[in-house]
Amino acid sequence: MKSLGLYIHIPFCEKKCNYCDFYSKEGNDEDLKSKYVDALCLQIEREAELYKNHIIDTIFFGGGTPSLISSRDMEKLMLSIKKWLSVDENAEISIEINPKTVDFEKLTTYKKIGINRISIGLQSTDDEMLRCLGRIHTYSDFLSTYKMVREANFDNVSVDLMYGLPSQTEKMLLDTLSKVLCLDIEHISAYLLKIEEKTYFGKIKDKLSLPDDDTEYEMYIKMCELLEENGYNQYEISNFSKAGKRSRHNLKYWKSEEYIGLGPNAHSYFDKRRYSYKADTVAYINELLKGDLPEKISEEQVECISEMDEYVMLKLRLSDGIELCEFEESFGTELINKYPSIMKYVNSGHMKLENGKCYFTRQGFFVSNYILSDIL
Amino acid sequence: MNEKQKRIRNFSIIAHIDHGKSTLADRILEYSNAVSKREMEEQLLDNMDLERERGITIKARAVRIDYKHKDGNDYVLNLIDTPGHVDFNYEVSRSLNACEGALLVVDATQGIEAQTLANAYLAVDCDLEIVPVINKIDLPSADIDRVRNEIEDVIGIVAEDCPAVSAKVGLNIDQVLDAIVEKIPCPQGDENAPLKCLIFDSHYNSYLGVVVYVRVIDGTLKAGDKIRLMNTGAKYEVVEVGHLSAFGLEKADSISAGEVGYITASIKTVSETRVGDTVTNDENPTSEPLKGFKEALPMVFSGIYPADGARYNDLRDALEKLKLNDAALSFEPETSIALGFGFRCGFLGLLHMEIIQERLEREFNLDLITTAPSVIYKIEKTNGETIFVDNPSNYPSPDTISVAYEPTVKTSIITPTEFVGGIMDLCQDRRGTFKDMKYLDSQRVELHYIMPLNEIVYDFFDALKSRSKGYASLDYELAGYEPSNLVKLDFLLNGEIVDALTFIVHSEKAYARARKIAEKLKDNISRQLFEIPIQAAIGSKVIARETVRALRKDVLAKCYGGDITRKKKLLEKQKEGKKKMRRLGSVEVTPEAFMAVLKLDDSEK
Repeated sequence: MKSLGLYIHIPFCEKKCNYCDFYSKEGNDEDLKSKYVDALCLQIEREAELYKNHIIDTIFFGGGTPSLISSRDMEKLMLSIKKWLSVDENAEISIEINPKTVDFEKLTTYKKIGINRISIGLQSTDDEMLRCLGRIHTYSDFLSTYKMVREANFDNVSVDLMYGLPSQTEKMLLDTLSKVLCLDIEHISAYLLKIEEKTYFGKIKDKLSLPDDDTEYEMYIKMCELLEENGYNQYEISNFSKAGKRSRHNLKYWKSEEYIGLGPNAHSYFDKRRYSYKADTVAYINELLKGDLPEKISEEQVECISEMDEYVMLKLRLSDGIELCEFEESFGTELINKYPSIMKYVNSGHMKLENGKCYFTRQGFFVSNYILSDIL
Repeated sequence: MNEKQKRIRNFSIIAHIDHGKSTLADRILEYSNAVSKREMEEQLLDNMDLERERGITIKARAVRIDYKHKDGNDYVLNLIDTPGHVDFNYEVSRSLNACEGALLVVDATQGIEAQTLANAYLAVDCDLEIVPVINKIDLPSADIDRVRNEIEDVIGIVAEDCPAVSAKVGLNIDQVLDAIVEKIPCPQGDENAPLKCLIFDSHYNSYLGVVVYVRVIDGTLKAGDKIRLMNTGAKYEVVEVGHLSAFGLEKADSISAGEVGYITASIKTVSETRVGDTVTNDENPTSEPLKGFKEALPMVFSGIYPADGARYNDLRDALEKLKLNDAALSFEPETSIALGFGFRCGFLGLLHMEIIQERLEREFNLDLITTAPSVIYKIEKTNGETIFVDNPSNYPSPDTISVAYEPTVKTSIITPTEFVGGIMDLCQDRRGTFKDMKYLDSQRVELHYIMPLNEIVYDFFDALKSRSKGYASLDYELAGYEPSNLVKLDFLLNGEIVDALTFIVHSEKAYARARKIAEKLKDNISRQLFEIPIQAAIGSKVIARETVRALRKDVLAKCYGGDITRKKKLLEKQKEGKKKMRRLGSVEVTPEAFMAVLKLDDSEK
């Protein structure tokens, strides 16, 4: 049986954050949320046949804000997944939650239905910064949510942080990091703020005083070093974990393994095809309710050369990079033969080629787009 | 003289740019029914798109108009159009030589401008009867009396009863036609004398070969005649002769003294039929060729490279095609370490250069990188040898130079008096030597300077316009070589000389220019993975330095939720951008950055 990741997109938020361009609808329409879960269940049932030879070994409820779904609906959804798909008994099942959107009861439901990994959106420990980002919570809201998560006996917890924020200094970032380090969390994702065109930040970008590239670089390097000193292993450009606590689901994206994504604007890579669904929740629900399947958009067959390029592009996001023999076995050619300009960056210290592996150094990670656009 | 010859009038229209020359030509054709309104494209004589857009006539054309005068006789009016810009002065003078008279069009709102004067003097030199025409009288700010007086005072010709017209609305055009018939003399010349024709233009036609436009001075010419071009010595057999109607070539049995027409003789390129050359009968030649022939020599040079190196052959084909119709354009292959394979092209002047560049881009769909315009320097070397340098990269090392000379031009600037101060500062700054200053009337002044051409070819014209709110006008002619203290200024990226950025400058200006260009390079070169030093140097002495800091951030930090397609698209876009980069040693530069550096704008002043 082939393994498969399952991503379920929950496109609802109490309020959109100022920087976020993931697809979600604002508001608290309980009826719509329930209908949406029904629609998801219908899709799982209708497509089950397609995945009968696969075993689901990771599930990820992402958003949006998945914790806005009621306990009852979460139970229903998980029941449907387990009924129609084969889920590995050791599957990693993650959910993203935001402070102030869960209570103890909901967390015990998560535990009961088999969720074993909680990812909390924190972003910063500075309340003023949280307000600036348009978050609906404070740092102390986070602390109480985090405490509840531990009380509900979750032993695999992640927090999301951001850096390169408006008016943020290196000191402010280090302050956030040291507070988070005290909590001894299993996993930390730390993302550089990217201003996206269609967000609120995108609209006011000229008024934001963002740190310059050199400051952001310094922030990144300091952050990586600090996390490493504190027992976190950097396994991807923006991801750090304690031993054995890497996100197995996210690793699938970077290792070109198969996953299916359900929900509007969810992305799939299945049977060498990449596709996604239209970013329209109501249309998504309606099509499923009238007995159809949601419309696929941007479907793309990944051909041989582009498969190789994709593999290199994705694998190099990982600290382990590319295993040379694995590459040769998969594609029948040597990595360096195929991408000779890698050597240029090995010589400049942006990449390393040793122990049978090819990978970016930290410095290289931070200019990886530039380098990839040259070597591919 | 026969009756036919007595009823011929050969004339040109001369004017400052934008004074309405082409519009008047259209109206004359229309009025005399040479073309009907419906058939007429706007400004028929300017039949290149570019000409129409820029409102300037680049190449001369001629057209024959049949006109019935009020005296009851039928007249043949040959309108010989002239290029309206200083770059084409020589061609203007040849066109004028084919005429007996000229309409001098003056804008009733502007009055006399630099090119009005320059063209009027040319016409006087050619012994033409000048008929002033005051145009644009429909405009509210038209001041006919002031302009009349100006014409009389400044040029010294009678303008009392000259036609005042509006070519735009078609007012008083009949007066212009009457004036042509009544004031301009009929052509002299003997149709029985040995053949003597003046070539005033030619163009390449893919069916007929070169079509040569001539004015027959003496004699008669018909198909089958053996002809000789007296200056080049080339011989041909005439295939066809005829007249030039508004719709094209009209074949005739013969053309004779006084007439304007065309010849075809299986000629392959226009460079064989130089404007100003004399056509005679090879078996019964005239004794003396017409005076004043000279080859149009390029004065301004620039390297032209395809932005995409793979299109080098397309560029060569395009230049060859343009050359078919433009004897003044010169080009030869050139290699630049920075820009790859391209051509060093020679032009009559800046306008000519711009036109060629634009035609290459527009008509041949080429993206070009062009180096800064340069002039020809004359260098006497210590070993006694004299060389001419048209490419700054080939400028010899200082220790081998005995004396360096640069070309100068006699410059005439006409400006409203309020701008005189600013313009004099500008000329001073551009190393001009003041000659004299003349009040044309209480409001306008004519300034004369001798200036290095090297200063003019940069952005003098733009600077002049901006300092005079667009009112000042410029005319110039070559005034010979002057010794000058010149230096070769190199730019180095990461320690390597970028040949395409080498300039020859006057030593006093070297520091300022070095700093400016180094700054521009810094602003336009995108950061790369290593630090890039930018240096400006005279010989081995560095006189300006800037640094492009190393790129440290270019990352997609969040690749998440499985949206791989988006990341791929981003990378592909970045790759596309990379492909267009030019590698200068170890440094990559976009063509846009190159152009930004080479384009000297206001900040240069």
